[in-house]
Amino acid sequence: MTQSSQRVAYYYFLAAVLLFGLQIAFGFMTVAKYLGPDPLIDVFHFGTSKAIHTNLLLVWLLTAFMGAAYYMVPEESRTELHSEKLAYVQLGIWLAAGVITILCYLLGITEGRKLLEMPTILKYGVVVVMLMFLWNLFMTMRKTGRWTTTEAVLLGGLVSTALLFLPALVHFDDFTLDRYYRWWVVHLWVEGVWELIMGALLAFLLIRLSGADREVLEKWLYVIVGFTFLSGILGTGHHYYWIGAPAYWLWIGGFFSALEPLAFLAMTVYAYNVLRRSRLGHPNTLALHWTVGSSILATLGAGILGIAHTWPGVNQWTHGTHVTTMHGHMAFFGAYVMISLAMITYALPGLTGRTDEERQTKLGLLAFWLMVGGMFGMTMAMAAAGITQTYLERILGLGYLDTQLKIQVHYLMWLGTGLIFASGVACFIWDFVSAGLPPAARGALEAPPAPTPAPAPAGAPGPEAGPAAGEPAPAPSPA
Amino acid sequence: MTVTKAQTRGFFVGGTILFTLVFIGLTLDTHAKLAHRTRDDPVTEHVARGLSVWGKFNCENCHTLMGEGAYYAPDLTKIVSQRGAPYLKQFMADPSQFYSEQEHGRLMPKLGLTEQQIDDVIAFLDWVGRIDLNGWPPRPIHVQGSSIRGIPGVEPTGGAGDLATTRGKALFYEQAACASCHAVEPGRRLVGPSLAGLVGTAEGRVKEPGYQGKAHSAVEYLRESILEPDAYVVTGPAYGADGKSFMPSHYAKSLSPAQLDDLVAFLMTLR
Ligand code: HEC
Ligand code: HEC
Ligand code: HEM
Ligand SMILES: [Fe+2]
Repeated sequence: MTQSSQRVAYYYFLAAVLLFGLQIAFGFMTVAKYLGPDPLIDVFHFGTSKAIHTNLLLVWLLTAFMGAAYYMVPEESRTELHSEKLAYVQLGIWLAAGVITILCYLLGITEGRKLLEMPTILKYGVVVVMLMFLWNLFMTMRKTGRWTTTEAVLLGGLVSTALLFLPALVHFDDFTLDRYYRWWVVHLWVEGVWELIMGALLAFLLIRLSGADREVLEKWLYVIVGFTFLSGILGTGHHYYWIGAPAYWLWIGGFFSALEPLAFLAMTVYAYNVLRRSRLGHPNTLALHWTVGSSILATLGAGILGIAHTWPGVNQWTHGTHVTTMHGHMAFFGAYVMISLAMITYALPGLTGRTDEERQTKLGLLAFWLMVGGMFGMTMAMAAAGITQTYLERILGLGYLDTQLKIQVHYLMWLGTGLIFASGVACFIWDFVSAGLPPAARGALEAPPAPTPAPAPAGAPGPEAGPAAGEPAPAPSPA
Repeated sequence: MTVTKAQTRGFFVGGTILFTLVFIGLTLDTHAKLAHRTRDDPVTEHVARGLSVWGKFNCENCHTLMGEGAYYAPDLTKIVSQRGAPYLKQFMADPSQFYSEQEHGRLMPKLGLTEQQIDDVIAFLDWVGRIDLNGWPPRPIHVQGSSIRGIPGVEPTGGAGDLATTRGKALFYEQAACASCHAVEPGRRLVGPSLAGLVGTAEGRVKEPGYQGKAHSAVEYLRESILEPDAYVVTGPAYGADGKSFMPSHYAKSLSPAQLDDLVAFLMTLR
């Protein structure tokens, strides 16, 4: 931590991990409904529970991304944030919109488009928050006029995320078009612009954790995000096979989406190479676990489990079964959950005025292994459910309800492995909270608020001295 | 050979611009083709209202439609042609008439749709069912029952073999999807009654004093059952309402005379 205003990130991260906990609580209720019987069927049915579960995921990930940006941009541009106050106001509005959305769902007010269920008026609220956020970042960067490639890629990802949210505001009476543009948000987020965010966070973390040469890393960062768009944009076609769009999407979507795993594979190779050559043993090994873990699980979940069902000849059988669930869970976890937790784990010691050494807790390590192990187990359970469902229901033609009765045991496994995962989340939250508040806030609890900047932690990489050891001066703007 | 950062940046920026342009081009082409290629009828107001009912009641977070949505409840892409509107109306008003958590593992909650909303959403589902989906699903997806052929307990007794019965059997299980409403094992009730021992049942029906249809023999009765389900409505738990059968009434249009012959030939093996 080199700028005191980076501390706003702490509150974003705090909100993110708490919402993560809530997301998992709703996940449990959702899988319990698969097992049935459901005593709450008339007041709180599967559809409500599941919509809250998935929306909370998106909300907390975006909260974590915002926190990560507020942490990274001042450091990379080497100046204080344009306005700390604006960042706090933004967080307040964002969380208020989130709470109202959940209340709406509980009351049965929804737009009912998967992942974009939020009532339209609240979607405009999201747009306002995005504008405040991006404004704050741009004004910060303008102050010194200095930005690094890593930072530019992150910003590119965030701006495009905001732009690609706009199709969610449009409605079509034609169901085919409704689907067509829903994927501009959902697919182009996770298999497009969020990969820029992931790539930038990965590069930032690798530079900080390994002391690798920034020039080289940023050069390859362009290759990774280049692969992303090369495959991911036309790869959208893998959602256009069966929605009434022309048949040429079968070939285009199949071919380009089959190339998508390359970007994830490149990230793993990138992390591996950087660490193999690294000279610097950074004390924050937990952050390193999450960073490397993210690149590996993203390759497995998004890359390998994605390609497994992306070809039209396979997808025609697996489409709309638990094979999708299996892929979605590990992909989201590996790529976006883990990279967010990596960033949080990396930044937390500095934000709370602790040393890195102090923060290498057993609990933190336990959280990592429980989550990774639990997610592996869940993915296996969903794979078993999905493959059995595909075979019995889609290939042999057994009725949907009859098939569901035959896969109950997999739901039980899903619940059990989910418990392992959830205990990991609980450990993570506990570990996060036990680091305490940022020093300024801790002081404020005892004395009247003093605007003193947080003291730089002893173990943080090169505070005040600018770039970390072995790192050249930040590159000029790519413009 | 070493690449420079300027080159990799060029790769990224150039590739992104190129593929974005191609994508926009294909999107415009898709819009242009949708107008005449993928469906035979335009979106009416009725259908559009149905789409908003579909959203308002969050159907998509339980069901899939065109394979998209959630996995708690059956896919509804072809549901209107499989089930017919009269049954669906009755079902949506109160699903617990037909299903229970004890027996079927799941139950759709009573969502409180008005009659108008039920009509709208059925019109919407009917419209979706007729979109050209590039051949998806490759085999019919059923809510319940089974089209597994040749496993013990499902294989009907009696002579398989001649070509007409084989074709009729395929119709029963696949294109016409009779199997999603009728089991052929004795005593298994889906939406419609089990057809085990159908030939005997049919012979009995035409002799019943209350029978008012035109058939005199089992074969004629089976034809009549398919073409005019309302001619005789089997009494039983929710097989129909107000003298109207819940069996779809479109087979006179959707089956050719030759297919009808094949189907009846197959049904005549259910002794
Ligand atoms: C809470 C989850 C849930 C929601 C929400 C839901 N359904 Fe269902 N639906 C089910 C289940 C489960 C079944 C399977 C039959 C049963 O067990 O009741 C079903 C079955 C159906 C069927 C097929 C019935 C049959 O026997 O063929 C139709 C049609 C249907 N639903 C339409 C709708 C529509 C339209 C909506 C929105 C207005 C909707 N559903 C909302 C859970 C749901
Ligand atoms: C939506 C569900 C549904 C579908 C699909 C369906 N049926 Fe039926 N069928 C019923 C119901 C309900 C009854 C009982 C009411 C009646 O008599 O019409 C019935 C009755 C019958 C009967 C009379 C049985 C008796 O005991 O008298 C025959 C024969 C029959 N169906 C054949 C077929 C065939 C052949 C097909 C496929 C072409 C088919 N059904 C498709 C629901 C369905
Ligand atoms: C981190 C990146 C990724 C994430 C977070 C992710 C997540 C998801 C989610 C949540 C869905 C379900 C969406 C819905 O039905 O609304 C989905 C569907 C799908 N994904 Fe991914 N995905 C990622 C990468 C990939 C990649 C790289 C591929 C291909 C190689 C792929 C192939 C597919 C396919 C084919 C489907 C459609 C499944 C169906 O037919 O039902 N995904 N993905
Ligand atoms: Fe996708």
